[in-house]
Amino acid sequence: MVSALAYAEEISWAKQLASLSKLFGDIALVTPLSDNAEEASKYYKKVYVVKTKTFEPISVGKAIENIVSKEGAKILIFPCTNKGRMLAGILSGKLGAIPVTDVINVSSSGEKFIMTKLTFGGNAKVDVEVEPPFTLCISAGALKEAETRGEAGEIEELEAPEPQIEVSFEPRKAEGVSPEKAEVVVGAGRGIKKKEDLDMIKELAKLLGGAWSVTRPLAADYGWADSWIGISGLMISPKLYIAVGISGQPHHMMGVRGSKVIVAINNDESAPIFEESDYGVVGDLYKVVPVLIKKLKERRGR
Amino acid sequence: MKALVAIKLTYDVNQIKFDKEGNPILDSCPKVMGEADKCAVEEAVRLKERAGAEVTAVTIGSSKEHYRILRDAYAMGVDKAVIVKAENSEKLDALTIARILASLNQRLGPFDVIFVGSGASDTHSSVIGPMLASLLGYKLLANSDKISFEDGKFKVVSTLEDGQYRMEASPPVVITVTSEANEPRIPTIKDILRSKKKPIEEISPSDLGIETREVTLRNLTRYVVPRKRIKIDATENVEEAVEKLLKMLEEEGVI
Ligand SMILES: Cc1cc2nc3c(=O)[nH]c(=O)nc-3n(C[C@H](O)[C@H](O)[C@H](O)COP(=O)(O)OP(=O)(O)OC[C@H]3O[C@@H](n4cnc5c(N)ncnc54)[C@H](O)[C@@H]3O)c2cc1C
Ligand SMILES: Nc1ncnc2c1ncn2[C@@H]1O[C@H](COP(=O)(O)O)[C@@H](O)[C@H]1O
Repeated sequence: MVSALAYAEEISWAKQLASLSKLFGDIALVTPLSDNAEEASKYYKKVYVVKTKTFEPISVGKAIENIVSKEGAKILIFPCTNKGRMLAGILSGKLGAIPVTDVINVSSSGEKFIMTKLTFGGNAKVDVEVEPPFTLCISAGALKEAETRGEAGEIEELEAPEPQIEVSFEPRKAEGVSPEKAEVVVGAGRGIKKKEDLDMIKELAKLLGGAWSVTRPLAADYGWADSWIGISGLMISPKLYIAVGISGQPHHMMGVRGSKVIVAINNDESAPIFEESDYGVVGDLYKVVPVLIKKLKERRGR
Repeated sequence: MKALVAIKLTYDVNQIKFDKEGNPILDSCPKVMGEADKCAVEEAVRLKERAGAEVTAVTIGSSKEHYRILRDAYAMGVDKAVIVKAENSEKLDALTIARILASLNQRLGPFDVIFVGSGASDTHSSVIGPMLASLLGYKLLANSDKISFEDGKFKVVSTLEDGQYRMEASPPVVITVTSEANEPRIPTIKDILRSKKKPIEEISPSDLGIETREVTLRNLTRYVVPRKRIKIDATENVEEAVEKLLKMLEEEGVI
């Protein structure tokens, strides 16, 4: 028996969510990846590896529901990603649990838990009081990775039920490091005029040993990339985020607020992104980025 | 075929202002039908045009503006509009919202397909659609960027954090629609005028056997991560500005 279940695909999420055992008590992890199971078992009382051909939320949800009834958990924890939100919704429906998403802090007060969550597109935060059963989705960068436990948890493998729908999956093209794992991320927005101009963004990212990504319009409307950063895309928390030609709309900013340092390059002095940046370079990106690349090369050459 | 589309009255988050204490000034903030919800209405209406679906639009809330977005849905072409008159609908927990929507299936359905937004522009919890699917035991096609209906099946493309998913499901199904799924039509003046005369059916949560539950919300304030906000002017001397930036980033130890 455990008091909570956590779901994570990435090992870094598994380590972060494990830190909630301080508040909730013993947690078991559910993960689809057997590769990570051994590493994850150092952080959890128990690890369930749920094997699936491809991710299909209803069947993964069913597998989690079975584990919930076996373990008697009343708290379910997910990363605040698209998949995490889907599973939180499905399990909330199944268990009659209130879902709380975009959680940036959790504390307790007697029997109750107080979740601080983002709302209004990330412009505001609010405290929500809940009692178990509940599900919660934790924002990227909200938690620090946990320490390992004294003894490794047991690992159990399960098969998820067959999906009721047909699913085919094409993984994101991995061009170098992925933005969620990189220490430096360069993000490009609609200030970039043509697809070819993304080459300089990629070059800048490469010089900094980091990853590149875009805002949603560049990916979803123009098809210049197969993922984007923001509330409906990737949530990142690098050491350095460089936003190039990005206005700083809340839906995008919610995905980058966990960054340690934010730099913005924008030619509109009044762009909202400057309010949320440590260093705001006011200027034409087509002039600034090439100089940045040149100077970084000089430094690397030395 | 019967279709339901759920629409939410949302704050235009790009226009929210805060007072000096950081409290949002909500009274003057414009409220609209969510962007993704508009795309959901558009999908439902296309299904009506292409496959003869009968489309009902529903919103949960009780203000004048809730009636207004139902009229907007009428102007776009839905057949029927229903308001579930819950007081304080902004404070209802997401489970209650999903339960209300699920209970409409008995009262007005059963629906073969239910369209919801993939995320409301303001709350953006994105959990309502999945919750609804699990409450009804429906299939789920979530975060759909492209939607088609062929050979009795819904086919969607969905971009998630690890890549692209192509999914197919036959009804009954809940489809959550992103704001990229289509370009919602702009109603003509004639459509708008006609929408004003259409009936809006009123239902109360208790008619549906739902006990509404409000969540306790406290300390609603502006959220800002403290930042240094140092501005560097690169409009004239780009070289100098970039040098300055690099020095500061080196001092921060991030490059
Ligand atoms: C429900 C919902 C969810 C959403 N989720 C996301 C999400 O997850 N991620 C996301 O990114 N968006 C998301 N969006 C969209 C978001 O609201 C914005 O529309 C988007 O982030 C804007 O992208 P942008 O900054 O690239 O473009 P714009 O807002 O058009 O900004 C372009 C900027 O480039 C600057 N610029 C132009 N030319 C130059 C130049 N030569 N040099 C320097 N600067 C220049 C301009 O001054 C401007 O500030 C979502 C929207 C909704 C409704
Ligand atoms: N009060 C409401 N009335 C009708 N539909 C709603 C309401 N709240 C949420 N929805 C639907 O659920 C979707 C997702 O909302 P959310 O989970 O809050 O992001 C919205 O886009 C709507 O389609």
